[in-house]
Amino acid sequence: MGRVGFTTTIPVEVLLAAGQEPVDLNNLFIAAPYPQAMVDQAEEAGYPRTTCGWIKGLYTAALTSDLESVIAVMQGDCSNTQALMETLELQGINMISFAYPYDRDPQALKASLYKLMDHFGVSEAEVEKEKKRLDQVRHLCGIWDELTWKHNQVTSYENHIKLVSTSDFEGNPQRFATELEQLIDEAQQRQPETGKVRLAYIGVPPIFTDLYQVLESLGARVVFNEVQRQFSMPYKTDNMVDQYISYTYPYGAFARLEDMKEQIQKRQVQGIIHYTQTFCYRQIEDMIFRQKLGLPFLTLEGDKPGKVDARSRLRLEAFINMLK
Amino acid sequence: MIGIDLGSRQVKMIQMQQGQVIRREMADTIGFYRQYGRVRDGQLQIDLLEAGWSGDQVVATGYGKMAVSITGAQQIPEIQAHALGAVFQSQRNSFTLIDIGGQDSKVILIRDGKVVDFLTNDRCAASSGRYLENMANVLDISLEELAGYDQDPAEINATCAIFGETELVARIVEGFSLPQLAAGVNYALYHRLAPLLKRMDSDLLVLSGGVALNQALTRILERETGREVLTLPDPQYNGAIGCCVFGGI
Repeated sequence: MGRVGFTTTIPVEVLLAAGQEPVDLNNLFIAAPYPQAMVDQAEEAGYPRTTCGWIKGLYTAALTSDLESVIAVMQGDCSNTQALMETLELQGINMISFAYPYDRDPQALKASLYKLMDHFGVSEAEVEKEKKRLDQVRHLCGIWDELTWKHNQVTSYENHIKLVSTSDFEGNPQRFATELEQLIDEAQQRQPETGKVRLAYIGVPPIFTDLYQVLESLGARVVFNEVQRQFSMPYKTDNMVDQYISYTYPYGAFARLEDMKEQIQKRQVQGIIHYTQTFCYRQIEDMIFRQKLGLPFLTLEGDKPGKVDARSRLRLEAFINMLK
Repeated sequence: MIGIDLGSRQVKMIQMQQGQVIRREMADTIGFYRQYGRVRDGQLQIDLLEAGWSGDQVVATGYGKMAVSITGAQQIPEIQAHALGAVFQSQRNSFTLIDIGGQDSKVILIRDGKVVDFLTNDRCAASSGRYLENMANVLDISLEELAGYDQDPAEINATCAIFGETELVARIVEGFSLPQLAAGVNYALYHRLAPLLKRMDSDLLVLSGGVALNQALTRILERETGREVLTLPDPQYNGAIGCCVFGGI
């Protein structure tokens, strides 16, 4: 069984059906002992200082992990991925491209999916079978999420880390599910944590390593992790195409907005933190969310991996204080 | 009641009694930490007794409060301290507070005496006191003189307190006069603030922080926004005054 890396969430069922171990390069990068050293390494190779820290981390992660190939998501994620793919190819990495259709057209998505299945030599039936198996794991993720916002028994960080890990299920969905079941049992015994400011976290996962801990220490709880939750595919769908059409993240700001509005209301959110990465085009989309969501809104920018800097901390503190 | 604002450049200390300021002091941040700070358990601790301030309740704010602990002090967020200080000093309840300090600027929307929204500038020191200091230095004039010019500005886009210098030198070479260059610098500061102000608009703009002493900025703000602009009586001490207000004066 080989390991296959990818640059953002892809139809992981295809890799599992092919007997490959899925590896989300983002998780590999940010969970590394010294993620900043990986950014430095990419900059030494020639990556400009003025590009996204994640892209640089992904570059080094792909080069320093033993991977059979890397799937680059060329549409529906990050516009820098093309150059990332090309520079990795330059280093001899076997690259495969995947694209989510911008117009969310099921036929176009199906074509993309079939191309990926062909590459790995798996059939539709095999992939749908994997989907059925993952449906059960995803159901557990839904329980975990509900324990966060409804029962206040799971912390902001615990919610983030488990949901963000569903892009690759830490390489092994079965093991992931077993551990999550135990965690659910344990969390259900806890005293609910109430009286904190209820926040939504929207945008890509943070490059800060202690953001959730900082927010909790300032008297807030993140009860909605938008993109992380999307990674866990919290929908009831009959097939692969339906599932990856329901997935909001690759289809632009307005596709995401509908999901956000619904969840923010349902989860009684008091304020929104929109995280954007320095040098990312999503900083422009900030205008849309700020205008359309109609709740107190803080835009938080992160550049390098590491702890929340003093200035961001000051802004978070003032924001939470304002909502108390 | 003693209020301390541990700023990035200056430490401001205020003592108040029955609503009146009875003592004020400003010190260079680095010098102050060096002189009165002791590292204990990996954290810088400041002994106010040693600094000559004692016998009163202490409330602190500012950048420094995360890393520095002041013996016996209560700590409050900076935005809150500035808002409290501005409401107290201006005797007004609804306005947009523009605080421009040594290394950053904040725009705070205040309604009925409470913070309802705020924005801060980019990470760098553009649109801060440091930018003005550097530019005055290049022009070889004092900050007071720089503050005298607001007409016929040379175009300066200054996105950086350091590279702004290069741009200024280029304009000097192009033959712009000193008044035009100085006005250009003041306008550059305004242009950095303008997008923040657009999102945090009020009929009244209140200025605090050291840069509030720049008269040219006040005039530019009045002219460009058409709003009433008020400079607080004690702009540099506003955060420290806010601490005293929080503590109860």
